[in-house]
Amino acid sequence: MIAFKNVNKWFDKLHVLNDINLEVAKGEVVVVCGPSGSGKSTLIRCINRLEPIQEGSLIVDNMSVHDKKMNMTTIRAEIGFIFQSFNLYPHMTALENVTIAPMKVRKMSKPEAEELGRKTLTRVGLGDRVDNYPAQLSGGQQQRVAIARGLCMQPKIMLFDEPTSALDPEMINEVLDVMRVLAKDGMTMIVVTHEMGFAREVAHRVVFMDDGQIIEVAPPDDFFNNPQTERGKLFLSSILKH
Amino acid sequence: MWGFYFNELMNSLPFFLKGLWMTVAVSGLSLIAATIIGFVLGIMRAGQNKILRYGIGAWVDVTRGTPFLVQVFIIFFILPGVGIELEAFPAAVIALSNMGACFICEIVAGGILAVPQGQREAATASGLSAYQQMRSIVMPQAMPSIIPPLVGQYVLIIKDSSVVSAIGVVDVTRVGWLTVQRIPEGLMVFGLVGLLYFSICYPLILLSNYLERRMSVEKTRL
Repeated sequence: MIAFKNVNKWFDKLHVLNDINLEVAKGEVVVVCGPSGSGKSTLIRCINRLEPIQEGSLIVDNMSVHDKKMNMTTIRAEIGFIFQSFNLYPHMTALENVTIAPMKVRKMSKPEAEELGRKTLTRVGLGDRVDNYPAQLSGGQQQRVAIARGLCMQPKIMLFDEPTSALDPEMINEVLDVMRVLAKDGMTMIVVTHEMGFAREVAHRVVFMDDGQIIEVAPPDDFFNNPQTERGKLFLSSILKH
Repeated sequence: MWGFYFNELMNSLPFFLKGLWMTVAVSGLSLIAATIIGFVLGIMRAGQNKILRYGIGAWVDVTRGTPFLVQVFIIFFILPGVGIELEAFPAAVIALSNMGACFICEIVAGGILAVPQGQREAATASGLSAYQQMRSIVMPQAMPSIIPPLVGQYVLIIKDSSVVSAIGVVDVTRVGWLTVQRIPEGLMVFGLVGLLYFSICYPLILLSNYLERRMSVEKTRL
């Protein structure tokens, strides 16, 4: 479904992605973890070309993402992207937030899009909040609207960039619950997160990154119980200590 | 004597109203053109293309860094030297439109750039085109910070239009100059001129204040 082949990326002189090779299969849930500044977010932002890459190839659903001739709308429509800071459109209600892309990109009619929007908002537990503006919703609710916004495009892949990092602790679970259900339904997901409990429970594989490189790729039980590298051990001890 | 001049002045009132009409025509045409051009330039100035961004920036700096009277003279007296002949009226409209467009360009670009980058990223990620993003996501959020200073800019355009009397456009300022030669009561004559400007600017100032208050309420939602 997603294949990185020898991907390299620089911000000026900083080598943010260093020879990345990674394949993610259909229906697979991959959690990416690592210290901050290790290139986790950049890695998933390349998948829908929010960031360009300088070397290598990146294939998503048989389409070459960084090919200049590629029509990005087609690819982006297949990929839902969830941001740390939600990025809901503040001037639109929850329902308008989730229906604008289906109408403008998928060319769905308004009633059709609204029916889908209501159904999807209900699915994330916000069926009674369709007419609220983002400012009237809690952080956890806003992030669930954002997930519904992604789902309304009926994507093949969902990418999550630290979806719970900006949330108060008591709201983290309501978002993770929605993601658990998605994973069980067979969505292909890449999740950048520090929620190690979620990773253990839901992920098929954990990717550990440091310094722009993929250091380890392993099933969660293996990685958490028995990391193979020094850097992996160091990272795990630093996050599990507190 | 004062009473006599006052009567004379009242008799010239139709002349003043004609001048006022000219002021309204020059500044009205200019502010329409300035708004359209200013928005187009502002959107490009806030865009990705570096050549457009710096090109427009340089032009705005030149316009803002030179006196308006000098700009009017350049367009009216110097352009004919390179073969571009203009009547006073179109020269005045061009000069005013250019100046207004440059200020409006900065207002629009500022409003657009104040919309958080994450808004564009979210829209990009869901597949919206650059035009769709501008229309449905960016502009609706930028407008509350654009509209109040935009209306304020209209007031400046109307007041600055008095400068074009210098190239012979018979606007209300020019009417004042012509009248004061007949009625040598400067305070009285230009008091009337000022009053006429004020009568069209004041409603706009009130509108700008009102919009400022309404938009700040609007912005609390954003």
